[in-house]
Amino acid sequence: MRALLTIFITVLLVCFSGSSAAMLSMELTRGISSAMPIAISPFVLEGAAPSQDIASILSNDLKNSGRFNIASGSPDEKVVGKVSAVGGGRYHVSFQLIETARARSTVLLDKQYTVPDSAMRALAHHISDAIYQKLMGVRGIFSTRLAYIVVEGVGHAARYTLEVSDQDGYNPQPLLQSSDPIMSPAWSPDGRKIAYVSFERHHASIYIEEVATGSRHLVSEFIGINSAPAWSPDGRKLAIVLSKTGSPNIYMMDLGSRQLTPLTRESSINTEPSWSPNGRKLLFTSNRGGAPQIYELDLATKAVSRLTYQGHYNARASYTADGRHIAMLNQDSGFFNIGILDLDTGVFRILTSSSGSDNESPSIAPNGSMVLFGTLYNGHSVLGMVATDGSVQVRLPARNGEVQDPAWSPFLS
Amino acid sequence: MKFKKMMFTVLAISSLLALGACSAPGHKDQDTAVYDANGEAAGPAATGAAADSANFGDNGDDTLAQRTYYFEFDKSDIRDEDKPAISANADYLAAHPDAKITLEGHTDPRGSREYNVALGERRANAVADFLKAKGVNASQIRVVSYGAEQLGAPGHTEADFKMDRRAIIVYSKK
Repeated sequence: MRALLTIFITVLLVCFSGSSAAMLSMELTRGISSAMPIAISPFVLEGAAPSQDIASILSNDLKNSGRFNIASGSPDEKVVGKVSAVGGGRYHVSFQLIETARARSTVLLDKQYTVPDSAMRALAHHISDAIYQKLMGVRGIFSTRLAYIVVEGVGHAARYTLEVSDQDGYNPQPLLQSSDPIMSPAWSPDGRKIAYVSFERHHASIYIEEVATGSRHLVSEFIGINSAPAWSPDGRKLAIVLSKTGSPNIYMMDLGSRQLTPLTRESSINTEPSWSPNGRKLLFTSNRGGAPQIYELDLATKAVSRLTYQGHYNARASYTADGRHIAMLNQDSGFFNIGILDLDTGVFRILTSSSGSDNESPSIAPNGSMVLFGTLYNGHSVLGMVATDGSVQVRLPARNGEVQDPAWSPFLS
Repeated sequence: MKFKKMMFTVLAISSLLALGACSAPGHKDQDTAVYDANGEAAGPAATGAAADSANFGDNGDDTLAQRTYYFEFDKSDIRDEDKPAISANADYLAAHPDAKITLEGHTDPRGSREYNVALGERRANAVADFLKAKGVNASQIRVVSYGAEQLGAPGHTEADFKMDRRAIIVYSKK
């Protein structure tokens, strides 16, 4: 059996050239009326200009979060900063977040950094995170990344690329290109690796690839389906779906020993495992009741309970970081939508009711604020984001090709 | 005379059907998949398509040439109208124990990708079970589900979705 064979392959890294071009771009399509006004002044420049304009990156980040309204007047909150070239391609960057209330100014944040020009964009996202956390009380997601599949060409000529980019679509980095489908990317909890399914050699196999180096190894190529990898929160196990004994069932693979433990033993379809934040439970999709619905497995007691009753098709569920909500793909009649279920109250709501098209593959931001998903726009597959309270919608159209099957990274620092 | 003319018409239509099948998008995938799947030095897809016509289309047995079978949404039941063609392929496989096929399962793009992989396998397995019940040896059949990752028709209408929900017999060795 070669299922556990480990092969390291140097994978195609096509545009790792330090370019910051965006494969995707971001458009806020629905904001909230109560968005906080904030003014972001152009950073004062001393010496040569860096390659990135920090103030415009901050403005885009905060605007696209949907929680801020970039104001030009004199709102209560404002950001000022300075960038000084210090030689050797390095810059000294400082900024202040200032709150003005009742004629009194308070400095909420006052920070400085020295970075090379190549880190300027990352630093700008880091500053956005700091501002967001200070004003919203929640950690920002501006330094996180996305993984997704790009499909160019159709049918026989289709090319599939597994790609990662910054959360705003910049710095796209291809990890794998193939003439056969690639699907189901899943970030490891430390954000360093991605597990995915590749149909190379015309067989579905699960690989784990290191994002930084592109080295990868094969973890599962049993006969039949090898599908839907999901990392345990401690990063030591992978829940996967195999049909080696007939029906698709969920197994837990210990990544150290490669030992497999069956978690479901059904003759129905059982797939799409997703771990609870504490690692004690798994969500999964099963059609054991006739149509696909979401079930929860308690790993200690082995008890299984059905969680979804709204609509005749619920699938691809995952927990929010607090473990109290699950986002999923839902269909009642008509389009497939992204829905969210409050596990405490049982209240279910659809987040994409106005999308006017089918949606797929929901993936929750690590701070629980947004859900990333695949959708259709002008006849093409694109990525979208919607706030978990439904208030904000963002679309990330691709410059070319179809973009699908996204996964939001964990916090990366 | 009349019979001869009729035979000619039947043969002509069969040949056209077989040729048409080879150039339809779904079938093009199928022919390519054969040679890619095995990594055999069998030449480009065009050679495969020609061989198909020579072996099957030209002898007029168009039921054997029908190797794509369609399904209802979220279902894996074989339609009655596809059974004669599957049976014809079963007879061929049973009579040629060295012949091998890959059974591809596919779904339309709606719904969940991973669930669709499972559903596609259900469809391919339904055809595999039918073949085995007709005497085909399990070792002649390999099943692979692509879920919604290789659509039969691009586009998002119900007509496209119907072309997507399919299982395909791909001969890797005849």
